[in-house]
Amino acid sequence: MAKFPSSEWFASVAAVFNSDERYQGAGGGQCFCRFGVKSGAQIAVVTMDGRTCAGAELVDESGLADVDFYLDMAPEEWTAMLKDIAANGHATLDQTLNTLDLNRDDGLSRSMHGDQYREDLFFRYNQSLQFLFDASARVATEF
Amino acid sequence: MADDHQPKYGNVPKSNQWGTRVLPGKHGLRLGDLNVGVYGEIPDRWDDQTRNPRGAIAKKGVPPVGYAIRDKADLWADCAADLYEEAIQRKFAPATDIPWETVRPLPTVLERAVCQVLTELCQYANCDVETVSQWQHQMAYGYHEVKQYLATATFDATRMHEAFRKRALCNGGGLGLEGPGEVNRMILESRGGWSEAVTYLLLMRGSFMQVMLRYLERYAHNDAERVMYQFALEAKARHLTYGFDHLRYSIAHDDDRRQVMQMLFFIGDRIWAREQADHVLREALSIIFAGGLENAETEGLAIYNRMMRDFMNEYVGVCDWLGVKRDLASMPSRMTQYLNG
Repeated sequence: MAKFPSSEWFASVAAVFNSDERYQGAGGGQCFCRFGVKSGAQIAVVTMDGRTCAGAELVDESGLADVDFYLDMAPEEWTAMLKDIAANGHATLDQTLNTLDLNRDDGLSRSMHGDQYREDLFFRYNQSLQFLFDASARVATEF
Repeated sequence: MADDHQPKYGNVPKSNQWGTRVLPGKHGLRLGDLNVGVYGEIPDRWDDQTRNPRGAIAKKGVPPVGYAIRDKADLWADCAADLYEEAIQRKFAPATDIPWETVRPLPTVLERAVCQVLTELCQYANCDVETVSQWQHQMAYGYHEVKQYLATATFDATRMHEAFRKRALCNGGGLGLEGPGEVNRMILESRGGWSEAVTYLLLMRGSFMQVMLRYLERYAHNDAERVMYQFALEAKARHLTYGFDHLRYSIAHDDDRRQVMQMLFFIGDRIWAREQADHVLREALSIIFAGGLENAETEGLAIYNRMMRDFMNEYVGVCDWLGVKRDLASMPSRMTQYLNG
């Protein structure tokens, strides 16, 4: 069982995501970005390289300066999202990335650089990112 | 009669740069990969008035086609080639990729609200198609990356129109009232150049539509609507990326652009505000957000106001990012009220 948000956890999720063609079909497809996942003090940077998720590495806060955007939630909020995905096979409406972003005054997706072009990758690739987290439904997760 | 012409072409190829051998990379052979040598020379102005592909040898005496947009600053965006690849790779087919079987009967008032919003979204999509189409053929071939990307944007918009219409007609309802269309007319009749059209079509209307699609996805009634809005959202995000990147390029290469945009906003904001006076869309969205009529005036309207706040923050924020500072005091109160809320 891998612990969220470790490199091992992302490797397990990536293995599911990369091998399931349904995630490459409608709404999915090639996706090029590096984004951060910030859960409290723990931070991972995930690399999406075309049709695959190339994995993630743990970084410190300074590592977020380098990513296109990062998703920032408290650990208990990440846990709620991932448990919802595990229970339903995919995120239900209250727990999609779009909803979580809308529900926060500062948004879920943020950046340190303020570059609109890079920030908008969150919307351009939204479905692929959702598919990636949805793939965690098939990974045993320790919180 | 026998043709006695002997081909002489074989030995000496006529080319500005023969021997070019672009190889596919890890992600295939992409449009942007071809920009090597003379083929990648993209001048600030394209004087050739024919369909001569960039890098080919121009032929003398070809009647001019009459392209009006020949300055790079008037259409270029560095991301165009990548967006083209992204658009054709991340396409969707509304007929089969949307799980229509998940649509279930809704209370009449709710169905009517959904259909009303979709009616107006169909108009938005039509406006996208017509606006892009009427400018695209005026763009010089030297900037083919932009023309190719915009072809996909047109197709994206037609698919949105298709999907929205299908949802409106598949659940016992039907299309509603035509929207006021003043903003559509403003966009379609902008004659000052493609950058002006982009300002209205993508920065103003596009930002609004993107925020509205996000809220509609959030308050979807079934997987079909959720997936439909997600598809539309990704396509709209590509449109905005092109638009913002183009405006940024244009501002950096055209001294007057920033001031021109200030004036365009001054005019556009007022037409926008006038259209906002129409209550039909606001009420329909409030009903959807409240899940029915009962709480539409309270809960639904509050969510509508939040949506408008998000739009205004996005709209003003992108202007700031472009370096076109907005004077909120000169904007119509019908717009700024949401920022103050």
